Amino acid sequence: MKHTFKILFLALVALIAGGMRVLAQDADAVSDNAVQVAVAATADATADAVPAAEAEEVEADINVGGAFVDFFKSMGFYLFTEDWRYVIMLCISFLLLYLAIVKQFEPLLLLPIAFGMLLSNLPGAGMFNEELFAGGKIHWDIFVERGGMLDYLYLGVKLGIYPCLIFVGVGAMTDFGPLIANPKSLLLGAAAQLGIFMTFIGARALGFTGAEAASIGIIGGADGPTAIYLTSKLAPHLLGSIAIAAYSYMALVPVIQPPIMRLLTTKKERMIEMKQLRTVSKKEKIIFPIMVSVIVSLFLPSAASLICCLMLGNLMRECGVVERLSKTVQNELMNIVVIFLGITVGATATAESFLTFKTLGILVLGVLAFSFGTAGGVLLAKLMNLFMKQKINPLIGSAGVSAVPMAARVSQIVGQEANPSNFLLMHAMGPNVAGVIGSAVAAGILLSMLG
Amino acid sequence: MSLLAVNWGNVMVITGLGFGIVFVVLIILIFIMDLFGKVMAPKVSVKKTTSGKDSKEQTTEIEYDVHIPALDSAAIAAALHLYYDDVHDEESRVITIKRVEKRYSPWSSKIYGLNNNLTRR
Repeated sequence: MKHTFKILFLALVALIAGGMRVLAQDADAVSDNAVQVAVAATADATADAVPAAEAEEVEADINVGGAFVDFFKSMGFYLFTEDWRYVIMLCISFLLLYLAIVKQFEPLLLLPIAFGMLLSNLPGAGMFNEELFAGGKIHWDIFVERGGMLDYLYLGVKLGIYPCLIFVGVGAMTDFGPLIANPKSLLLGAAAQLGIFMTFIGARALGFTGAEAASIGIIGGADGPTAIYLTSKLAPHLLGSIAIAAYSYMALVPVIQPPIMRLLTTKKERMIEMKQLRTVSKKEKIIFPIMVSVIVSLFLPSAASLICCLMLGNLMRECGVVERLSKTVQNELMNIVVIFLGITVGATATAESFLTFKTLGILVLGVLAFSFGTAGGVLLAKLMNLFMKQKINPLIGSAGVSAVPMAARVSQIVGQEANPSNFLLMHAMGPNVAGVIGSAVAAGILLSMLG
Repeated sequence: MSLLAVNWGNVMVITGLGFGIVFVVLIILIFIMDLFGKVMAPKVSVKKTTSGKDSKEQTTEIEYDVHIPALDSAAIAAALHLYYDDVHDEESRVITIKRVEKRYSPWSSKIYGLNNNLTRR
């Protein structure tokens, strides 16, 4: 019975929309005739030689029918009939909202992204003006004239401000202690970047340009801000699709990673218990962010903005003298920027840019990127075990794809399935935070090569 | 066709070089961090006093790594827990009744008391 009502309701909506369209077409014809009549009348009136000043005082009668038609034509329901892709985009945004609210897939980011998508796909509302950013440039000459709130907020993405600010917050929330205690974790973080480069090859094979392929590949870094930063620089037209793919797959890390981890390891390897990490002094924790900023920036100036922001946040956390700043960047600043970033990135997912076969390709390549990244980390850990006296559990290699701290939790859970007395979480946090540095370095390299 | 249109040489160079540079940069960081770790790992120096032949006290410094193995930590924690659990047989004598900030309550109000004088209206 309920379904019957739903079907009837939908049929009624479709009927009204169709009726409006027919009405509008008829009205167009009528108004054309009216215009012709009016032109003729004006000519007659001119012939009557009415004084010009007197004619100006006479206000023209409103055309009630025409006004109604204009109103109907401006309605979103009417515009749906002109471009059916709006309906699909709204349905996709509803699906993403459902995933964020009910399934809690990275809700902090997916919810604003989905709502931004909803806003920019409301026909006729004109919330986001793509033409202001056409051709990968900001058209300042028409910006003040046409720019709305979302356009102004989008400047933060376009200029690479939001990802860097988020990295300050991420740095302030990250404890690099496990990485400092076991620097070899950095190798696992590097190996997990395999996903980025393998996906780059795959994307080129599917016909994406070099810049687009690099932006798709960075999904394998499992690091949202880095993916957004690189895509906004290299392939801004794919920003919506890539951001949605990156955050969706990050939420699906507990689903994507475990089968690959089990496939590539034996039960004996999964049971390996690791030695407790050494204590890290406060001095080491303070010097680490300064040292990494200097060294990485000297090697890769293109990665400096991301790495230095990450390390600035971490320095605030570790130095202990700017507690207020540390708390602010971890909470208020981070939350505000996440709202702006989410809404504007979602707003870029318009029907023209999103409903293409490229989006499908990005979604498929995104899963491959995560899978290759996971496999890269696990395989390098197994390789390291061949040479090292102190064996490491290969499961921590999978945490090398950033996705902090989800990937480390997955290592812990899969490890405990094999050996309930095994605690891998802290060991996995090393490669996990190394993955953040690794993906930022990879982004810098791709930017300098293809930017 | 699109496969043939791609310059695969460039793709392989970008992939190999990019992945290689990631490794090189992070390996350099490993070396530097190892070096820092050796210099700055927290160590406790303990002065050991031994009496020499000519009755002069000789002092030697021995450095210990403060790292405690997990099993040792667990054993110490369990021992402390058992110790305090057994020993704690006396009340702490701390009065824990909290003073209520809100002093007024209709239950203690004099306005509604039985001893009010009758008022004629």
